[in-house]
Amino acid sequence: MSTELPQSSVPPPTGVDEPSSAPTRRTFIATTTAVGAVVAGGVIGGTLLVDDEVAAAGAPPESRVSLTVNGTRRTVTVDNRTSLLDLLREQFGLTGSKKGCNAGACGACTVFVDGRRVNSCLTLAVRLEGAEVTTIEGLAEGDELHPLQQAFVDEDAFQCGYCTPGQIMSGVGCIQEGHTGSPEEIREWMSGNICRCGCYVKIVRAVEQTAARK
Amino acid sequence: MSPQPQAAVGVPLSRVDGRLKVTGKARYAAEFDVDGVVHAVIVDASIGRGRITGVDTRDAEAHPGVLRVIHHGNAPKLPYRDNPGSNNLPGRRLRVFQDDKVLFHGQPVAVVVATTLEAAQHGASLVKVRYEAEQPSTDLAEAKAGEPTEYARGDAEAGLRDSAVRMDLTYRMARNHHNPMETHATIARWDGNKLTVWDKTQWVVGTQTELSTVFDVPLDSVRVINPFVGGAFGSGLRCWPHTVVAALAAREMKRPVKVVLTRKQMYFGTGFRPRYEYRLSLGSDRRGRLKATVHEIDAETSSYETFEEAIMLAGQMFYSTPNVSQAYRKVPLDVNSPIWMRGPGFANASFAIESAMDELAHRLRVDPIELRLRNEPAEDESNNLPWSTRRLRECYTVGAREFGWHRHNPKPRARRDGDWLVGLGMAAAVYDPNNMEAHARARLNADGTAVVEAAASDMGPGTYTSQTQVAADALGLTMRAVTFRLGDSLYPQTPPHGGSMTMMCVGSANLDACNKIRRQAIKLAVEDEASPLYGAKAEDIVVRSGRLHVQGNPARGETYQRLLTRNNLTHLEADGSWSGPQDPERHSYYSYGAVFTEVGVDAALGLVRVRRMLGVYDCGRIVSPKLADSQALGGMVGGIGQALLEHTVTDHRDGRIVNADLAGYLVPVNADIPEIKAIYLEGEDMQADPLGVKGVGEIVQVGVASAIANAVFNATGRRIRELPITAEALL
Repeated sequence: MSTELPQSSVPPPTGVDEPSSAPTRRTFIATTTAVGAVVAGGVIGGTLLVDDEVAAAGAPPESRVSLTVNGTRRTVTVDNRTSLLDLLREQFGLTGSKKGCNAGACGACTVFVDGRRVNSCLTLAVRLEGAEVTTIEGLAEGDELHPLQQAFVDEDAFQCGYCTPGQIMSGVGCIQEGHTGSPEEIREWMSGNICRCGCYVKIVRAVEQTAARK
Repeated sequence: MSPQPQAAVGVPLSRVDGRLKVTGKARYAAEFDVDGVVHAVIVDASIGRGRITGVDTRDAEAHPGVLRVIHHGNAPKLPYRDNPGSNNLPGRRLRVFQDDKVLFHGQPVAVVVATTLEAAQHGASLVKVRYEAEQPSTDLAEAKAGEPTEYARGDAEAGLRDSAVRMDLTYRMARNHHNPMETHATIARWDGNKLTVWDKTQWVVGTQTELSTVFDVPLDSVRVINPFVGGAFGSGLRCWPHTVVAALAAREMKRPVKVVLTRKQMYFGTGFRPRYEYRLSLGSDRRGRLKATVHEIDAETSSYETFEEAIMLAGQMFYSTPNVSQAYRKVPLDVNSPIWMRGPGFANASFAIESAMDELAHRLRVDPIELRLRNEPAEDESNNLPWSTRRLRECYTVGAREFGWHRHNPKPRARRDGDWLVGLGMAAAVYDPNNMEAHARARLNADGTAVVEAAASDMGPGTYTSQTQVAADALGLTMRAVTFRLGDSLYPQTPPHGGSMTMMCVGSANLDACNKIRRQAIKLAVEDEASPLYGAKAEDIVVRSGRLHVQGNPARGETYQRLLTRNNLTHLEADGSWSGPQDPERHSYYSYGAVFTEVGVDAALGLVRVRRMLGVYDCGRIVSPKLADSQALGGMVGGIGQALLEHTVTDHRDGRIVNADLAGYLVPVNADIPEIKAIYLEGEDMQADPLGVKGVGEIVQVGVASAIANAVFNATGRRIRELPITAEALL
């Protein structure tokens, strides 16, 4: 059983030495700080008080970022606290990428950044200058579904559909990475994407069949 | 069913909304593009009980982008009229921002509205709330129970006394959270006195009535829209406080407001499957025939509402038992209110009862299936009604054969595979499908297409698809020609999307509406001199692919299009309804199943892994086999979670849930699930409803946890009577 903390479906990046779209440890921490708004508090004499030290906020810093989303170049001014996921959903109207946990534990927000699957909830938009982002909306070729999208329909590899875009993006990544040697290997490399409806058997089947067709 | 040929029902079709879901185009509650919408983030109480002594909003309101902070000190008083007939629980529902009382950790105490999500999130962190905290009571084991709900037949105490074999067993089950992948969310917009909400719910009509009563506006002034539900498993069965917060904030701000719960807020902003302690005493003769059972059941509820579920029925009807006594106590705690979760009541009762049957089988050295067969009742002993259908024996037979139950060695620790102790286990399952009034409206257009509407939901089982199948066959149209619409309170009313009743209730109403239209069309044709069907007997006519013809003579007929066009009709329309079996007092209706599993337990580490699993179900007719199969596998995965992983942990010092996230509250991931398999027995239950269905969604989680616990015993010789079964318990 997965008694460990769920990991991001993304293997840790190696040799990242320039500011790029890759999700580095620093990106992760910065995003966690920005997105995880939590009231700090402590017990004083039986009464819980909110920390008085919370700094009075100034204007949040903004940045201009140019990135390509599903082949379209976009230049936007973003609040530096904005995650890629919130940029996609709240500003670009690309709601195919889903917010399931906003903490990198469920994979519903999986997209490609420069060809690699990442949790977009843990990726700050401001770090994506020049990046190529592909979301579920950019996977099909016009009316023709990507083979894995079609396999998900044929195998009925989903029910509610909410984790599905992330599963499919992750599955495409899994196939590209060559982690489809056996059902066991697929299960392992697809375990960063939770499906609460429990469609795992069919997700594995869909990924396996699509990989075999390549 | 109708005399119509079956071309869609029973055929393993793919989802009609599949393409929308795999392309990211299906829109869930938070994803509607509502002009001028602003974002709201709720501030949660950080104490477990007490009162608010002050709310300092200055820093939050000074934060750029923050528009307003609303809390009990400045919120308008809301009418909160009673809402009978809703899924609100007995008691006094939580009233948001109406007073200074804190009833549980995480209760909404303020909401920050801002122009951007980032500003609202940060603003929420800047609201300073002062409290006078009291010690909350959150421990089921320590708190005092309320008055029990009781049941008795015969003399259970005497029965136990006179039994040759007696066992006294205590089972404990952790609190579980539904954790659908989509968190709950609401967008609310007022247009004058009219309120529109896009809300994640399993019952648009339920949210509609709740908002109508909370704000005291006419029912038809509230419209609730929710075409896609990103899972729910029960969490959307009632309208939660955040939905009222969204509507309240939208009214105050005079612009649309969006509230999306965080994953953490799902743990106290929506309900949960309560923690249980189930003490079961059973007495049997030496052959294992039950003489008496005593069930003492304690479960969590909140301090302000009393949650009840069908935990008692299984103990009353499942096995032949002359003497039964039950007491079900709801224990009020300083927690938010529970709500039904997949397999409600039965999934927990079955863990106790089916584990106990396994313990009895082991003690008497009887095969677990044989023991169950010896206790198979001839009728429902709780009401002396005959079963509508009860094919449990067949579930055992088919399951044992397909699973290879003959390999079951009753001696524990008998099989080893490397480091792994391997065991087999089985359990029976039962669920009582709910039954409530439902309506649907169908319209057949002159172009040969049809639309059916009902205020139903589709949280994943495939309502869109299965209802389209029912309508297509009843109308004699292809799947492509029929559109089923749901998720809008403007459509005809349906019961909540839960309790395994959507197919039965909405499906029967849908069938009724479509049958009426088909009959209208047939009547029109046989009375129309210009029709090739003129003079034919109405009962001889069937419709296939939109063409009416005489049965056995396909040449004599015409299409709906020709018929309607010639008669200058733009469409035919009919309302359909369903109000339960014609004579509910004549039969006892249940769905049944048997679950078989093989587990491996790491001998050194106590890790439990399910190696394979089979569920065999008697659920009546299966309308949509491909989707029903997915539902069964999903229920079994849910059961694996309940058995081995899921456990909401509360810090009893302050009532805080310590694992309110998907890193600490474990649910099954792909690597946890081997090849699992489901079989539905072919057949139908025509006593239950005109479709012959008994519902699928709930029973498929029942019995899984007990089958796993029984397999763990078979593997290790260790009887674990507490869920989830952890490595710690096995070491």
